[in-house]
Amino acid sequence: MSYQLALQQLVDSALPTGAFAHSLGFETYVDAGVVADEVGFGRWLAAFISQQLTYSDGLAIRFLYEGWDIGELDSLLSASLLPREVREASFKMGLRLLEIGAEVFPSHGLGLYRDLVATGRAAGHQPLAFAVVASSLGVPMEEALAAYLFAAATSLTQNAVRAIPLGQNAGQRLLRQAADDVAAAVERIPRLSPDDFGAVSPGLEISQMRHERQRARMFMS
Amino acid sequence: MSTTAVESPKRVTGLAKGASPGIRGRARFAVPTTPRPLIPGSACADRSPMGELALSIEQRGGRSVATHQYHRGALRVLRPHYLDDSGQVCYVVVNPGGAYLGADLFLVDVEVQAGADLLLTTQSATKVYRTPGSFAEQRMAIRLGEGARLELVPDQLIAYREASYRQRTHVTVRPSSSLVMAEVVTPGWSPDGAAFRYEEVRLRNEIHVETEGDSQLLALDNLLIRPPLGDVTGLGFMEGYSHLGSLVVVDPRVDQALADDLHSVTSENDALTGISITRSAAGTTGLVLRSLSNSTGELNRLLGACTALLRKRWYGQEPLNLRKH
Repeated sequence: MSYQLALQQLVDSALPTGAFAHSLGFETYVDAGVVADEVGFGRWLAAFISQQLTYSDGLAIRFLYEGWDIGELDSLLSASLLPREVREASFKMGLRLLEIGAEVFPSHGLGLYRDLVATGRAAGHQPLAFAVVASSLGVPMEEALAAYLFAAATSLTQNAVRAIPLGQNAGQRLLRQAADDVAAAVERIPRLSPDDFGAVSPGLEISQMRHERQRARMFMS
Repeated sequence: MSTTAVESPKRVTGLAKGASPGIRGRARFAVPTTPRPLIPGSACADRSPMGELALSIEQRGGRSVATHQYHRGALRVLRPHYLDDSGQVCYVVVNPGGAYLGADLFLVDVEVQAGADLLLTTQSATKVYRTPGSFAEQRMAIRLGEGARLELVPDQLIAYREASYRQRTHVTVRPSSSLVMAEVVTPGWSPDGAAFRYEEVRLRNEIHVETEGDSQLLALDNLLIRPPLGDVTGLGFMEGYSHLGSLVVVDPRVDQALADDLHSVTSENDALTGISITRSAAGTTGLVLRSLSNSTGELNRLLGACTALLRKRWYGQEPLNLRKH
């Protein structure tokens, strides 16, 4: 019980990290008419959870829990998030999380990461900021992974409900479906190897890159 | 006429021995360059290579020449040639065996020293056949000196039914180096006419920028296509396409305006293409282009148009014409 309420606060969609401003590529599909309804967004979300959230965010969280150097992990994320908007989204939301964390869940580890960022030695990525806070609160790794991945799925679904638009109940059905994909990802992440870090599927990445050139858009990524 | 001085054969170290050039002085590096086999007892890091190639290029009297060259087994290079009067030397890599099979390991070590200019290509497509219970692998170590330039434009990779292939390329550049790497991956058609019958294709490029006493990771480009897992052709994966093209450029002259110009070039092509610039490190920046299509020809035209823009703008050279086919 000790960390439960803190973890809920950390992953609550009301936490002001700016997640409402990012589609992380799905708006490109919406603009092209490829994602136009609940089924379409569900397919995108499943791919996003099983690929990007698994191989980048999820692995970064796991490696941090396993004691990898946070500066190296930060550099790996900056280097492997090749679409510019997604890279910027990761450290924009990460910096907000670092600020909020410093006020409400300060810890030695968080202070060190903030120092690296303040001195230009790290960018401050969202999954790492989250993992530093979660581990300082004593959240076990599997729970931290599940909470982070489901929070990401929730923000994206809320954004899809507004942008496509979808009904509120459709949003809830999508989240129920996403929970299974998150559970599968949490099971898979511990079995991946360091070589898998940052692996991308071409379609998701191309849509994230193409978003830079989209004319009318609601989201920054 | 060739001025290549070929030294006596010498074992080449580098990625072959699991060393990781460019990350000296780091207490620890997150992604080891020595692969950890996922299936114990299958292909492993110290199996003996099927083919080895090492090439070192220097600038001598206005043109680039190889000052060290070594090959062993199923890899060699043809006599160098010069396609224009720029001084850029062109080497063509040949795999006499014609294909990569299960557990085959190929090692390529390329160094382009300060101010030298190398165009490296292949004689024909790289074909990966069945690799039951294992994978074929190519490990490439590339090191570019100050002002050195490498254009790496191999023919397409064709992964056939039940093929697993891993390509690991470890590049170290200096802030003033110029790198262009193009790649096309195509599925070989299986007897039943279905594409994507290969097991797995992994293309992992790691690019470091080295300065005096420091090394930074500029880009980690890790493509993974694993058809047996789920809907590989669908949304988020190959988007209904069968062929993948990729272009990586690293150069201090890379900026958003260049990405915009390349985007204009690609918008005339039917392939689905995305372009973005990487982080910057030590004054240099990368650019990655990713493209999906249903034909090798279309992707080659697209990548060719992009490299033509770079050749003309930066070196006043004509578009690449290798006259291989």
